[in-house]
Amino acid sequence: MSGLSLFQLLNGVTFAALLFIVASGFTLIFGLLRIVNLAHGALYLMGGYCGYAVASASGNFFVGALAAMVCVGLAGLALDRGLLRFVGGNELRQVLLTLGVAFVVNDLLLVVFGGDTFTVPTPDFLRGALHVGTMFYPKYRLFVLGLGIVLFCVLWLMLYRTRLGALIRAGVDDPETIQAMGINIRRIFLLTFMLGAALAGLGGAVGGAFLTLYPSADAEILVFSLAVVIIGGRGSLLGAAVGALMVGLLNSIGQVMFPEFAYFVIFGPMALILAFRPYGLFGRAA
Amino acid sequence: MLDVREIHSFYGDAHVLHGVSLSVAKGEVRALLGRNGMGKTTLIRSIMNLTPPQVRAGDITFKGESLRGRPSNEIARRGIAIVPQGRRLFPSLTVTEHLTVLKPASVTTGWTVAKAFELFPRLAERRDHYGNQLSGGERQMLAAARALMIDPELILMDEPSEGLAPVMVQHLESIILELKAAGLSILLVEQNLFSALAVADQVTVLEGGRVVYEADAQSVAHDPGRLNRHLGVC
Repeated sequence: MSGLSLFQLLNGVTFAALLFIVASGFTLIFGLLRIVNLAHGALYLMGGYCGYAVASASGNFFVGALAAMVCVGLAGLALDRGLLRFVGGNELRQVLLTLGVAFVVNDLLLVVFGGDTFTVPTPDFLRGALHVGTMFYPKYRLFVLGLGIVLFCVLWLMLYRTRLGALIRAGVDDPETIQAMGINIRRIFLLTFMLGAALAGLGGAVGGAFLTLYPSADAEILVFSLAVVIIGGRGSLLGAAVGALMVGLLNSIGQVMFPEFAYFVIFGPMALILAFRPYGLFGRAA
Repeated sequence: MLDVREIHSFYGDAHVLHGVSLSVAKGEVRALLGRNGMGKTTLIRSIMNLTPPQVRAGDITFKGESLRGRPSNEIARRGIAIVPQGRRLFPSLTVTEHLTVLKPASVTTGWTVAKAFELFPRLAERRDHYGNQLSGGERQMLAAARALMIDPELILMDEPSEGLAPVMVQHLESIILELKAAGLSILLVEQNLFSALAVADQVTVLEGGRVVYEADAQSVAHDPGRLNRHLGVC
């Protein structure tokens, strides 16, 4: 239980950081705005391919990641204004609509990028391995871990220390009342939706560099994000962080110790948590 | 200033307001009285265009401009604030955030957080508490302070004295008089006749979605019997 398991532990934690990046966007949309956006995985994949294309063309990973955020944020704008506003408040219709969008986006990406596997090129200084204790660990995965932590802090400050965050919280508490106080809450919600989508795009660009991009990657990341948000509790940023850590660690432990039960190792505990805390670890009733 | 003319409001197929007309002049406090279920809150919601109900006929004008069909945030921006029934505070916001969410702390014109805390010193002591951690009286103060932050010319207060201890009701009355002295117009929904008469210039009574009585507060004081028949109190 030494070299290998520390390596696995770090794999779990860095995977958790990626999951947090994607799931934080999902928890903004699913938890705060109460929109069941099953196209979140497709937005991730779109961000991944966009990041790949721009990073390859420009030769700069960070330009690629930024392009992925902008591009997917705009896709979120189109999705919310163009489609989702017609099914507001009806969860079944949202599920069917966003699932349909996910299929369409996935097929369009298949047409453009084909079925090959791509890896987003990382910058030179993040290539190679870093000496960690008695072993070497990929620098890039440590970078993702740092990014996840920074993102958690930035989102927390945004939600709890800025006026925009207070507007979002007030809107989630009672949209009618904040609207009657002169605030255009639709605009705040649209902004939040675009931010959630942009985070999916960022996740795609970042994840596309170590999980690689392929046509069904969207469904896999969507299932992981759902597990993270359901375990952590809808709409809770801390819940998303803790949920991501649990899912990331369980996933890497499962893959090593019970490879044939890798999914069970994640979803078994999730079922158990839901049995005792139906709103997740940090969730509360709507 | 506010003119409601012959409005008909519906909850689905249920016809709740049957041609209600009412006006509030500048600097005037009008009390809107009536028993439960007579259409008082429906009227307030109709003015702000909060749906339901649906206003299907009639007109509502504020400073000469029609408000009908406008989104409620735009109506608020024209200078009408609401202190909703049941307060409707935000459980996830602190006392201070309830105020700064409507007007950034950097804006120093009109009502500011400091001025609101001056009017309600109790709120200053509770500034970091969340909306659901306040007593009934504090909640009402916060709902009123929040309404002031949009610098309204007219405040719609929907049963502000509901559930308050008598000493708090008195405090509320003095606040209403203070706001009136500052030139604000107030449409005050009340169940309590005496509380209403303590502050109102005009009294309107709703019954079954219709205006059945209208008078200035002085004449009510001279002949309370007629009003009491409509309210069914005493």
